[in-house]
This record gives sequence, C-alpha cells and structure tokens, in this order.
Amino acid sequence: MPVWLREHSWRQTLSAVYLSLPLRGARATPANIFCSEQYLKVSIPPFLFEAILYAPIDDTNSTAKIGNGNIFFTLYKKEPAMWDSLTLANADKEKLQDLRENAVLKAHEKAKEETEAKKITKQENKKYALEATMKLEEAERKRIEDLKEKERQKVTKELELWKNQQKDGDKYKSMQKKGALHEEIEPLKQRKNEKINKTQIPNEGTSKTRLKSTKGDGSCSIFSQNLKEELLPAPRAAATIKVNFTPRVFPTALRESRVPEEEEWLHKQAEARRIINSDLSELEDLKEEEKNPDWLKDKGNKMFAMGDYLGAVNAYNLAVKLNSKLPVLYLNRAACHLKLRNLHKAIEDSSKALELLTPPVPDNENARVKAHVRRGTAFCQLELYTEVPVDEMWSRSMAGS
Amino acid sequence: MSAALGPERPQVVAHAQQALSYTVFDCKWVPRSARLLCLGSAARGTGVVQLYELHGARLELLREIEKPKPIKCGTFGATSLQQRYLATGDFDGNLNIWNLEAPEIPVYSVKGHKEIINSIDGVGGLGIGEGAPEIVTGSRDGTVKVWDPRQNDTPVANMEPVQGESKRDCWTVAFGNAYNQEERVVCAGYDNGDIKLFDLKTMSLRWETNIKNGVCSVEFDRKDINMNKLVATSLEGKFHVFDMRTQHPTKGFASVSEKAQKSTIWQVRHLPQNRDIFMTSGGSGSLHLWKYEYPAQRSKKDSEGSEMGVAGSLSLLQNVTLSTQPISSLDWSPDKKGLCVCGAFDQTVRVLIVTKLNKI
Repeated sequence: MPVWLREHSWRQTLSAVYLSLPLRGARATPANIFCSEQYLKVSIPPFLFEAILYAPIDDTNSTAKIGNGNIFFTLYKKEPAMWDSLTLANADKEKLQDLRENAVLKAHEKAKEETEAKKITKQENKKYALEATMKLEEAERKRIEDLKEKERQKVTKELELWKNQQKDGDKYKSMQKKGALHEEIEPLKQRKNEKINKTQIPNEGTSKTRLKSTKGDGSCSIFSQNLKEELLPAPRAAATIKVNFTPRVFPTALRESRVPEEEEWLHKQAEARRIINSDLSELEDLKEEEKNPDWLKDKGNKMFAMGDYLGAVNAYNLAVKLNSKLPVLYLNRAACHLKLRNLHKAIEDSSKALELLTPPVPDNENARVKAHVRRGTAFCQLELYTEVPVDEMWSRSMAGS
Repeated sequence: MSAALGPERPQVVAHAQQALSYTVFDCKWVPRSARLLCLGSAARGTGVVQLYELHGARLELLREIEKPKPIKCGTFGATSLQQRYLATGDFDGNLNIWNLEAPEIPVYSVKGHKEIINSIDGVGGLGIGEGAPEIVTGSRDGTVKVWDPRQNDTPVANMEPVQGESKRDCWTVAFGNAYNQEERVVCAGYDNGDIKLFDLKTMSLRWETNIKNGVCSVEFDRKDINMNKLVATSLEGKFHVFDMRTQHPTKGFASVSEKAQKSTIWQVRHLPQNRDIFMTSGGSGSLHLWKYEYPAQRSKKDSEGSEMGVAGSLSLLQNVTLSTQPISSLDWSPDKKGLCVCGAFDQTVRVLIVTKLNKI
C-alpha cells in the first residue's frame, strides 16, 4: 500500500497553477514524475501522489522543479480560467481508472511522436552534412579541373604560336634558300667550268643539258643535290655478317615453352637409352649387333617397308626385351600389328607407347599423333567405335588416315 | 627508384585524339612541321598512310594514301629536310621510299625481305648525323639489312643467320654511333632475347647479349654521337639501359634494368631535346616517363685492370594510362619539346604534351 502524499499546497493565476509538494525525505528524480493533460502523478516508492486536475493543462510546457525536499510544479493551463480546486472532485474509481489509462496512452503516443520527430531531424541533419561534403568535394574537383584546363590552354596557345612560327620560318627559309642558291650558282658555275676542262666531254654534255632542260626552281634544287652528292660518301661496299643465335634445344621461344616439362622429357629419353635389360638367357645366343635395340629397330623398319610384318614384329620384340623404355619400338610394333590385323595387340602397343610419351611436349608431338592414329584405327577396325577416345578421332582426321 | 617532387612533376596532357578506321602500327611527326603521319593496315588488308595536321585541339586529315600491302613501320631518318621522303616497311617485306607529294610511284623500292619488315630506322638525313643516308630494316625472316637509297636492289650490309641455323624473328633495329662519316653501328633485337650490335665500319659483330625475354624495342639515346646509352625493352615489363661508353672484353656493357609494368613494353623513345629522358609505352595502355641519372664515375677498373662501365640509376618521372589497349607506337616531335604522338591498338592516335620538361 503506497503512502499517499497529501500535504500539498497550491496557488493559481489566470494562466498557471503553482503546486508545491513536499517530499517526506524522499529523493525525487524526473523519472518519478508522470504528467499528462489532466493527470499528474508522482511516485517515489513507497510514496505516491496523484491528482486529477480540474482542467486540462499544457503538459509540454509545464515544468517541475525538484529541490529542497520539495517538488515545485508550474502547470500552464490550457484555458485561462480560475480553477475552483486543484483536483476534480467527485472522481469515482472508474473514472479515475479511465483517466489514468488515457493518460498513460497519451503519454505513450507523445513519446512515440517525440522519437519520430527526433529521427526525422537526425536524418535531415545527416542529409545536410552529406550535401555539404559533396559540395566541398565538387569544389575541389572543379579546382583541379580548372588547373588542368588552364595548363591545357596555355600549352595549346604555345603550340599555335610555334606552329605559326614554323610556317613563317618555312616561308622565310625558302626565300632565303633561293637567294643563297643564286649566290652559290655563280662560284659553282665557275667551278664546274674548271672541272669540265679537266674531265671528259660526255660529263660536260650531261651536266649542261641538265642545266638547260629544267626551269627556274628545279635547277636550283638539282644544283643543291649535286652539291650534296659530292659531299656524301659513296654507298658502302656490300658485305654480309653472319650471325648465330643463342642456342636452344627446343625450337619454341623461351616465352612459349614449358621448360620443366621439356626438361623432364629430355631426361626420360636419356634414361631410356641407357637401360639395358640384361637378365635374359637368350642374350648369349645373339650376335653383338643384335643386342643393340637401335639396330634391331632399324632392322624392323626395313622389314616393315618390305612387307615382312612378322619378321618386323620379331625384331621389335627382341628390341623391347632389351630396352623396354623406348616408345618408338612400341609405336612401330603397333603399326605392324595393324597390318597383321592383330588389332588388340595394336591397341596394347599404342597405349604403351602413349604412356611412355608423357609429358606431352611439342617435341614428341609427332610420335603421339602416330600413336593415337594407330590406336584409333585399331578400335575402328574392331568396330568398337565407342571405345575410341575423342582425341583419337581428331588425330585420325588430322592425319587423314 | 624515386619519383620527382609533386607539383613540379612533368604532366602528360592529352591534347588531341583521333579515332581511326584502321589499325595503326606506326605514327611519325613530319620533321619541321605540325603534321603527323599514321601508318597502318585497313581491315581489307591494304596499307594506309594518313597525313594529319594539328589545328588547335583537333587533328585535321590532309591526305590519305592507300597502298596494296599493309604498312608496318616508317621513318624519316634517311632523307634530307628539303625532301622529307618517307621510308616504309610493309607486311610483304618491301622497302619503299615515298615522296608524299607524289605518292603513286615510290622513289625507291625493293623487295628486301621474304617476310614482314618488323622495324625500320634511318640515319644520315634530317641534318642529324654524318655520313651517307642509310636505312636499316629488321624482318621476321631473321635478317637485318642496311640499304642505301642510291643503290638499287642489293643491301649494303646483310646480317643473316649462319647456314643451317634456325632463324629467330628480328623485332627491332636501331642505328647509332654515327658521329663521323665512317662510323656507324646497328643494334638489332630478336624475339628470343638476343641483342646484337653490328659495327658497319668493320662489318663485324661487335657485341651480343641475351636478356631472356623477346626484345620489343631498342633505341640509342642519340644516333649522331659516340654511342652513349642504349635502351632495350622486352616482354614482361622489363627494360634495360646499357651504358655504351665502356666495353669490357668479356662482360660487355654495364646495364641497369627496371621492371615497371606487368605487360610488354612496346616502345621506347628518347626525348630529342634531352637524351636522358625517355618514354616507354606499355601493353596495358600506359606511358611511363623516365630519367636516367649518371653514376658518379662512369667507368671503373675491374680486378684484371680492364675498364668496366658503371650503370647509373633510373627514376620514374610520371606515368599515365591512356588506353586499355597496347600503345604500340610513340614519337616525339623533334621541333617542339614535349609534344609527342602515340598510336594504340584501340585504333586511336593521340597527341600528348608533356609539360615542365624544362625544369628537369
């Protein structure tokens, strides 16, 4: 049960009501005061004071002063009139309740409105700030643009000036040239005459006719050219300088090559040559040259060319036994098998060759194409068209086979 | 590598640009004028030469000449100032010299190479350098040939691969060391990174090196002096500056290299008015302006007592991105300091002005 504060005192004027409420030692803060148009409440637990005012007041302008253990309210009346009493008499419970609720609602609405108003002002302020900064930046940009424009115009003017100077200079020069040439012609003629006396007649003839056949300006320029030709050295004696370029194993330029892969391929090839499978008992029966895989390969190629496919296969078989890392052996053996219609074997061999021909570099491109072509052909002849990988179809079309 | 101070840095101002209806491979200023030439290849496979004049902030087309084969490169280097004949190399290996007043018949024509002429340079004309006017062409067929316009059909020097050697494309050529009537040197860069220096007086190979990546462009800082510096640009954004004053018997020339852009550096061009400033153009459409600073001592003695060059340092003065496509050609105007033209593969030719070069 709250303790009601009843010892309030008040006085009024036509427009305002002054209410003084002593607090019995309680501390009051603005949060404890609740005021609406016709309802006033001060609640400082456990103390409570409420009043339903006689007439509506202007609660936005009314003030409350807290101090000296006292709250001093200055309430401005909505309508200037003298009140009979501070509070409304005959206030029954329900009316009180209603009024209280209304008051609370009104207060809420007011609060809401206030926040809205605040938000709007905030936004407007922000907008204003933004516009101001934009204006500043615009001004800065414009200033820079103006500087640039000025520079540009200055430079343009200079250019025009220079151009006009050039034109005038040219005219002046050409006039000068004519004058100078006329002056030059005299001593030149004398020199020429001297020369003519010493040199053969045909020369004299040609130079004289040149003089006569051309008119005015033409003669001047020809003269100047003759002069110049005498001053210039003769054309150089023709010669050739042979050049060598920085060597490179692969024909592609450094920028296009894939160097690490090419290195790998080179390594592989080098190794392949060195391998000799020496753990075969049949080796003892062979002659010296038959132990050389290259010689066997050549033999096989010859036999293939002559049509002896079985013989070629034998040669390649032996070579493979000796050195199983040479892709060219498998490649050629695949070709033989194709001719012999041992298509499955052909496929095997070309696959093996392709395996050995990694990494793919431009250098082993030809070999790879051949392998693809042979394998593709074998597949097609077996009518296993679905097995043929796409790139082999491509190889076949490229090779035209 | 340090950048110059802020407000005093040279600025690259885009002055004018012109959209073209063909691929432009080379652009050159016509000496002693405000006119420039664009050389290229039209879509229908013919060569185009267009002559523009700079009027205010625009380029005005004065002349358009069509030739049967696309044109790759051109130079005014070997003609006199009065004649101003243009020497061009085309996709078919033909070297032609044209009088632009009467361009129907070339003044000089020879089928110099079996494949496209990638690069051309001229020396002895325009009042620069001494000695006979000569043109050098470098081609995809691996040969570098030097021509004299007074001698028809055969080159005066031919640098070709040894019999049986697989050939490498020659991508760029440049003349240098033409300080008197006899001396002359040709530098050639190849696609495998070889740079070879041929001495034309002794008709021999004077120096060679390999910079690992294909050489896109070489240029001496001046053609007409005792060779001073050589800049060679390559793929993958690297370029090398060689100090050519001191040649060591085994180590060759000292160099400093810089990796500026991630993309190929297509061209290098030195400023005609200041031989220590040059511009490189890149595959990402950017231009970089560099300054070379000499070291305190340009040569020093090595352990055996032979002279060895010392390379200096490079500083980036400015860089600017103009296009999304590679800028394949660049030319400074010999008459106005800071005026340059560049042609890019986005079919645009741009005239630029580089300011504040006097303050460098």
